[in-house]
Amino acid sequence: MKKDGLLRVEDLCLHFRTNKGLVQAVDGVSFGLGRGLTLVVVGEAGCGKSSLARAILRLLPRNVHTYTGRIFLNGVDIMKLGEERFRREVRWSKLAFVPQAAINSLNPVVKVGNQVAEPLLVHRLAKTKSEAIARAREACELVGLPGDFLSRYAFELSGGMRQRAIIAMALAARPALVVLDEPTSALDVLTQANIMNLLKGIKQKFKTSFILITHDIATSSELADIAAIMYAGQVVELCNASQFYREPLHPYSQKLIASVPSLRQEKRPEFIPGQPPSLLNPPKGCRFTGRCLSRSNRCEKEPPLVEVKEGRRVKCWLYQ
Amino acid sequence: MGFRVGKYILVRAISLGLAVVVGVYLTILIANMGGHVDEIRKAQIWERVAIGVFADETLRMLPRQEREPIIKDKVALEAERLGLDRPFLVRSFSYLGDALSLNLGRAQHLTSDAGSREIRLILLERLPATLALFATANLLLFFGAIFVALFLSRRYGSILDKTIIALAPTSAAPSWFYGIFLILIFAVLLQLLPFGGMVKAPPPESVLEYALSLLKHMILPVAAIVISAIFIAIYSWRTFFLIHSSEDYVEMAKAKGLSSWAIERRYVLRPTLPPIITNFAFMLIGMWTGAIILETVFNWPGLGRLLYEAIALYDTPVIVGAVVVYAYLLVLTLFLLDIIYAMVDPRVKVGSGDRKP
Repeated sequence: MKKDGLLRVEDLCLHFRTNKGLVQAVDGVSFGLGRGLTLVVVGEAGCGKSSLARAILRLLPRNVHTYTGRIFLNGVDIMKLGEERFRREVRWSKLAFVPQAAINSLNPVVKVGNQVAEPLLVHRLAKTKSEAIARAREACELVGLPGDFLSRYAFELSGGMRQRAIIAMALAARPALVVLDEPTSALDVLTQANIMNLLKGIKQKFKTSFILITHDIATSSELADIAAIMYAGQVVELCNASQFYREPLHPYSQKLIASVPSLRQEKRPEFIPGQPPSLLNPPKGCRFTGRCLSRSNRCEKEPPLVEVKEGRRVKCWLYQ
Repeated sequence: MGFRVGKYILVRAISLGLAVVVGVYLTILIANMGGHVDEIRKAQIWERVAIGVFADETLRMLPRQEREPIIKDKVALEAERLGLDRPFLVRSFSYLGDALSLNLGRAQHLTSDAGSREIRLILLERLPATLALFATANLLLFFGAIFVALFLSRRYGSILDKTIIALAPTSAAPSWFYGIFLILIFAVLLQLLPFGGMVKAPPPESVLEYALSLLKHMILPVAAIVISAIFIAIYSWRTFFLIHSSEDYVEMAKAKGLSSWAIERRYVLRPTLPPIITNFAFMLIGMWTGAIILETVFNWPGLGRLLYEAIALYDTPVIVGAVVVYAYLLVLTLFLLDIIYAMVDPRVKVGSGDRKP
């Protein structure tokens, strides 16, 4: 991996307080991301992917118990910024977000155009309202949303159109980094492909960095430069995307790749036996032990995430 | 589009008008106890006539057989004068017609302070007292509750939040209950505020003094109303705002870096304006009706006490008159709400299938 130019996350933890106990949704996650690159975070449902996105964006629910670690954005530790400075200096102008449920992420009673233009005015990126609207129109046309959609309301748009509007909103302020939390999971396959192509185009055109959170390994492959595989709140493998798709190392990554149906090869998709562990009381030692086929006695102790070769990092005793 | 709007308004007007007719007619039936009040009134007439006959020297001397027909004749005459000779069912419809055309007629027993039996005058005389008290209390309650609730929804789970939720059951007791205690504490023990009434007697001459006296008399009843409803109101608004501030678009607004005031204004209050306006409208209607027991406890000369007196005296025209005014206010408010909804919420469209260009 090259230098971690844009973003460096170190030992990020996000634990929630619930009635049943402490949920360790993000537990000591570290990674880096260079400018213009895309990090894909893959994992099963409930592995803490979305919580990771929230932790980076500081969009926390009310029941946060622990929120620690360091997040360097352009060399500045944004975890240290106060709420108001974080809002003024980081939110949207540097760090934008495309949420999972884009369907409900637009204000139902404010025109789409005003919502796209809103952050430009809030962060003084546009001097006048008409300038902000003009830039919003630009952003909308960039994502394939006709200009007249600006004067419509969210309920008059289809799901795919709303998703495009949200992406336009994220791009209008030209942030360095956009976090996309399963941006296509609520859409049909054709729209998914359209949105993915759109993101690819934007990435090439503007050198925007993305963190793409997804469980859809197949569609994410088009965009990914770096892959982080999450399991039970931890990153178990961090590598170049092509390495992950071709030759995964961690037993869990191998199982994940094997579960993806393939178009050209005649192999049956496999499944991973068992259930992911509860994040309430994650097992001691390696968290994948219970479902791992190559487990041994060593696995009772937690393996470190160590560099194996060519900058690849794997959290498994097999590669120590 | 114009035709559709016209048709929509017409349909709404007809359905609301129908509701008024049914409501008022039911009130007439109930206030007259389905015609039974006629029997009571006939008995009252008989009693009055009989007493009159016995008070008359010449008639009292007559033998019983001659006296009876005279009493019967006088009763029949009086009943005819009051229209009691026609069957109740027939009269109920003429009552309905009068009521709906706001021809409220005359009271049977009650009079206004000026001595008039015109129900319109009686109602108009009581209205300012009720409005002064309930408009103050309800407006205070409404905006106070919303303001505090917004504040609490930001501080979910704090000690203040928990305290107010714990206090919510205090609203189970009605306002007059608190009124009695307030009178005990502030009028009896501390002797700071008056026991009741609207102004001191005799009423002050100058406007300023009158207003000050009115304010002083209003403190306790307003406090009673506010105390009896404020905590449950805050609790329910707080929950309402909490639910609506966990919408995805509110989180999105936060991610966009909007200030918390802008989020509250554009992303919480704006989308929830229709239910807030509805509540406000019903609060407005509520303050025209007064409160029967509270006004009695505080000896407040409002519509609530008028209704209480009318019920006690079987003065059905007054009851029906008050209800008709209330029904018209309610329906008018609902009608206006329909139009306001379409203005504040773009999702509400008049008719269907028609889209703005």
